[in-house]
Amino acid sequence: MSSETPIDPISFEVIRNSLVEATEEMASALRRSAYSTNIKTRHDFSCAIFDLKMRTVAQSFSQPNHLGSLVETIPRALNAYGISDLHEGDALLVNLPYTGGVHLNDITLISPVFHQEALVGYVASLAHHVDVGGGAPASIGAFREIYQEGIIIPPVKFVRGGEINRDVFDLVLAQVRAKRETAGDFRAQIAANNTGIRRLTSLLDRMGPETVARYIDELIEYTDRRTKSELAKLPHGVFESTGYMDSDGYSDEPVKLVVKLTINDDGLLFDFSGTDEQRLAPINSTFAQTHSGVAFVLKCLIEPDVPVNTGFYRNVHMLAPEGTVVNCTEPYPVVGGWETQLRLTEVILRALADAIPERVPAGTEGMICHSGFGGFDPYRNENYCFLETIAGGYGARANSDGPDAVQPHGKNTANAPIEETEVNYPVRITRYELVEDSEGPGRRRGGLGLRRDYLFPDHEASFTILADRERWGPHGLFGGLPGEKAQYVLNPESDSLELGSKVTIQLAEDDVVSYRTCGGGGYGPPEERDPDDVLRDVRDGRISPERARDIYRVALDTEQWAVDFEVTRSLRSGDVEERGSLR
Amino acid sequence: MTEQYRIGVDIGGTFTDGILLNENTGETRTGKVPSTPDDPSEGFLRVVNRMLGDSEIAPETVKYVVHGTTVATNAIIEGNLAKTAFITTEGFRDLLEIQTGIRPTLYDLQFEKLRPLVPRYLSFGVPERLDFRGDVLIPLDERAMRHIVDELRGEGVESIAVCLLHSYINSEHEERIGEILGEELPTVLYSLSSAVAPEFREYFRASTTVINAAIRPVVSQYLGKIKSRFQGSGISGEWLVMQSSGGVFTFEAAMERPVFMVESGPAAGVIAANHLGKTLGHENVISFDMGGTTAKAGLIENGTPRVTKDYEVGGTAANIEHGARGAGYPIRTPVIDLVEIGTGGGSIAWIDSGGILRVGPHSAGANPGPICYGQGGTEPTITDANLVLGRISADNFLGGEIRLDVDAARKAIKEKCADPLNMAVDEVAVGMIEIANNAMVGALRRVSVQRGYDPRDFLLVAFGGAGPVHANRLAEELEMPTVLVPMSPGTTSAMGLLVTDIRHDYSVALIQRADRIDKDTANVHMQRMKTEGETALVREGIGSDDMRFIRQADMRYVGQSYELTVPLSDGELTSDAIAGLLSRFHQEHERVYGFNAVGEPVEFVALRLSAVGRILEPRVREIAANEGGASVAIKGIRKVYFAECGGRVDCPIYDRYTLGPGDEIEGPAIVEEVDSTVVIHPGNRAVLDRNGNLYLSDGK
Repeated sequence: MSSETPIDPISFEVIRNSLVEATEEMASALRRSAYSTNIKTRHDFSCAIFDLKMRTVAQSFSQPNHLGSLVETIPRALNAYGISDLHEGDALLVNLPYTGGVHLNDITLISPVFHQEALVGYVASLAHHVDVGGGAPASIGAFREIYQEGIIIPPVKFVRGGEINRDVFDLVLAQVRAKRETAGDFRAQIAANNTGIRRLTSLLDRMGPETVARYIDELIEYTDRRTKSELAKLPHGVFESTGYMDSDGYSDEPVKLVVKLTINDDGLLFDFSGTDEQRLAPINSTFAQTHSGVAFVLKCLIEPDVPVNTGFYRNVHMLAPEGTVVNCTEPYPVVGGWETQLRLTEVILRALADAIPERVPAGTEGMICHSGFGGFDPYRNENYCFLETIAGGYGARANSDGPDAVQPHGKNTANAPIEETEVNYPVRITRYELVEDSEGPGRRRGGLGLRRDYLFPDHEASFTILADRERWGPHGLFGGLPGEKAQYVLNPESDSLELGSKVTIQLAEDDVVSYRTCGGGGYGPPEERDPDDVLRDVRDGRISPERARDIYRVALDTEQWAVDFEVTRSLRSGDVEERGSLR
Repeated sequence: MTEQYRIGVDIGGTFTDGILLNENTGETRTGKVPSTPDDPSEGFLRVVNRMLGDSEIAPETVKYVVHGTTVATNAIIEGNLAKTAFITTEGFRDLLEIQTGIRPTLYDLQFEKLRPLVPRYLSFGVPERLDFRGDVLIPLDERAMRHIVDELRGEGVESIAVCLLHSYINSEHEERIGEILGEELPTVLYSLSSAVAPEFREYFRASTTVINAAIRPVVSQYLGKIKSRFQGSGISGEWLVMQSSGGVFTFEAAMERPVFMVESGPAAGVIAANHLGKTLGHENVISFDMGGTTAKAGLIENGTPRVTKDYEVGGTAANIEHGARGAGYPIRTPVIDLVEIGTGGGSIAWIDSGGILRVGPHSAGANPGPICYGQGGTEPTITDANLVLGRISADNFLGGEIRLDVDAARKAIKEKCADPLNMAVDEVAVGMIEIANNAMVGALRRVSVQRGYDPRDFLLVAFGGAGPVHANRLAEELEMPTVLVPMSPGTTSAMGLLVTDIRHDYSVALIQRADRIDKDTANVHMQRMKTEGETALVREGIGSDDMRFIRQADMRYVGQSYELTVPLSDGELTSDAIAGLLSRFHQEHERVYGFNAVGEPVEFVALRLSAVGRILEPRVREIAANEGGASVAIKGIRKVYFAECGGRVDCPIYDRYTLGPGDEIEGPAIVEEVDSTVVIHPGNRAVLDRNGNLYLSDGK
């Protein structure tokens, strides 16, 4: 097909959607054949297709954070290994953090795709493996260098001519705790890639490789054009913001994150100069992780129907100085890099709030909030590991409240169902509820945080918390108040001991660990909130009548479920005496 | 031998369609009356009586009646739900609030979470707890339960959903709560998750149960009313409802588990299109069903409609693309995969605050209906636009039963839309139709292109009263080569109700490793399910020669969470049979996922048995020859507006019943029959086959 032939809009749509649908089928195969709850149910994975030039052409609906990193990993891994050594039925395995990778748990499998014996592109699946060895079950914890974090895999041939490479497979499995589960998850990644290859080659059979290649070029150019024209609508200027994480896991010294955002005719430039230097503590983000966070924000600023591929990613411009917590180097630990990256997203959004206040939410949960544990399963007589990340309150927006208990920004994993978790792992969830009164008050309020309590029967488990937000809750905007802080508590019904946000502890039988995540920040002054909205929240038990009166300054009749407008008016007029008499 | 009959009744938003099938001859007769939304059973009774009366058929000879309905889905979409409460294990009352935690849109900072169908103040936790084996950790606190009952009574709830942790494996606590509710609140309906959807993963089970509970009063009342209308009518056969999966179940079962019939009506259309395609030798079909209120698109590949168990209803589920989830309320029942949008003949045109012409989502429905029906409608609709442009006739509606008011339609379009926009009436009418068509093209794309299918490889089967009016333009837009318009397209969906096999699905959970399975127990289960199925089919008058029993097992590798369904051989489950089953499982795993793990342990999850009763297919009638060619069927010439021609042109109007096999028509042309109108645009042509089906294609 010559390049002069006009683009046929129907073929364009068919090819574009076929590619995305192929990644969805990859995701479905991975989910349905995987063993660990983290992958099969929580969807902690992503799939993508790359063309011969190693450009991303389509991605599955999954984890935005992964997607931005696949873009970096695939070309670097392929070039490092050498594509001339790749043959039909081969696949490369890689998790190297500093050259386009992220933390060690996220392992990528890359398969070349051949059509009529010619190399035509690649499919890749990235999955978060619950355990990759290292110093604690689930391979998360406060480590001081990467070598303690688990197995490091440079690009190696994991599948050769359709057969798993036993040597590599055995070597990898020897490093991990839950071997049967991990082996099953690796096979599921192979299933995902095989599915992608099948769908891609059937598209090439149907439309012809030249046609598909030409339409991929057009798809990327189309995406680039639309991205640029969308970004051009943003107000020009320089916008700055600074934020802090509570601690790094070794010291209580907060971790400083700085962004200077410049918007001009060239697009958007995110400059992170001034951010703290990397630390021998688990909070360093790799280049690819930081890139993912920036890409996420950028994608939120353009029309939702603009596709995500290289044409979009080439508009991501950032300056992340090497040797800082947003672009770390070997051997600095990376396992908690996602915590930093997610908070960085918050800092960027805070800067943007000054540019486009109507479009940006107040502070959200802003942390991954890992919960990882493991030990010896007394019911199944084998080692086990489990990992999940707990949702929190979302920030309020100019025209709407922040949703309760959701995964924010670049993470979009699902909750692990309680029943599935208990069927597969020796743990009992004893509470799973919204945290009342945790919202950041405002004209629009933040979402509520989430409580999840774990009890460990009949064995002594090792438990790791890798999270944040125990010192400062998510920020409010324009007079809105911050969300309540998170808490991590041991045995809440008895000792009620506050644990830190980055610890590994050895539990006794029947111990309970309780997470209460933070609420989202508020937007606008709480005294301006519609009293009927306050009434509804109190009626639903989200907010206490005391909080309604003291912070929102709304008086309620909780017998009749009505607003006492007269008292509310005087409360809001600032008549302190009247307020006092109500106490 | 006495003749025996079957009846199908499909109630749409605008019309109630009936079909009567003579089981002995395969002949059919159809009926159509306006729907009666205030009391749909009235239209139901009217259409059945009309068909029986017209043919002088004794009601006693009706073997069964199958009903397809949108009552359940409408209740969800319109929020016409019972005041429902939710009871779960203490510590977990927020299951419906928390949901899956996933955002349905990845990059939307303004996203909204789905609003639970039960408000938080009507969600209760009761002290009790089972472990994952179903053993009791905390006994049910009946005193606490009775306190909850007091609150429920005070709040005046109408329906209750109960979903306790691990009840899929041990339903005792749920059943005890059911007993207490039955004693204390005898007039309130309740739904137990262990009875509605006994599958693990609490949120999905809870959501399915809550929907069941919330629509149960509406659906029960609705079905009960239909049955009571026929009390003393003489019809003694079974009363059946089409399920979302395309199978049927009894009215009584539907009243207990209405969540299984959420997509009942739309499923019938897809089944009908598939049947039609198959009889004509087309295995790849896109069905397009447009009525007064909605348009539905379904895709059939290799003669099989897609069925999904990963379905979401309500919320913004209908607009979600690709693999996104979390936008609607999940239900865990099998559903024929289709896309439904709120565009129909009754969709109302209006001018938005920015001065832009919009169509829908509001519909004039059956009551008052479009302005031209003269029943009090005041807002211009798509049907009014088609009438103004001459595409449908004022005198042919329902075979001329009602005369449509062109002047009133024209006046309203002028005043409400054309004048404010400073445009001509015809221009606005064409614009209205283009906007509606655009939305429908979107629906057709979602079932095809977005799932990786090229619509150009499919036959478009267009039906519903309004489907054939619009189908030609939609096919042009999508470059689909051929449109098939069946005879009597207004009743095609109803036909779908009668061409589906009777099917009863049974399953029993059996989580055991394949190498340690208790074969005796498995065989007892299989035999029990077979006996149940056989009894049900006998009751429905199916002879033993027409019965089929399909045995299957759900299996997976130990550690996986999703099962593959593998066919089981007939007869007893022996060691040899298990060995054969295992090898089929490994093969199937290889086929689906591209690998297997022969050494890994495999477990059974469930045994399944389907009892299928084959039914006689309706006979395809051949139409009479028409010696004089198509021109003989021209019953008049009308001025019809086509944008392609730059305005109104003289357009021949054909009578479909006069046309004969092989007759060809060049567009622009209109073909009219009692319950629909086929619009053939300029540059297209239509050919009639020997069964009266009309094939539209590019005229070149």
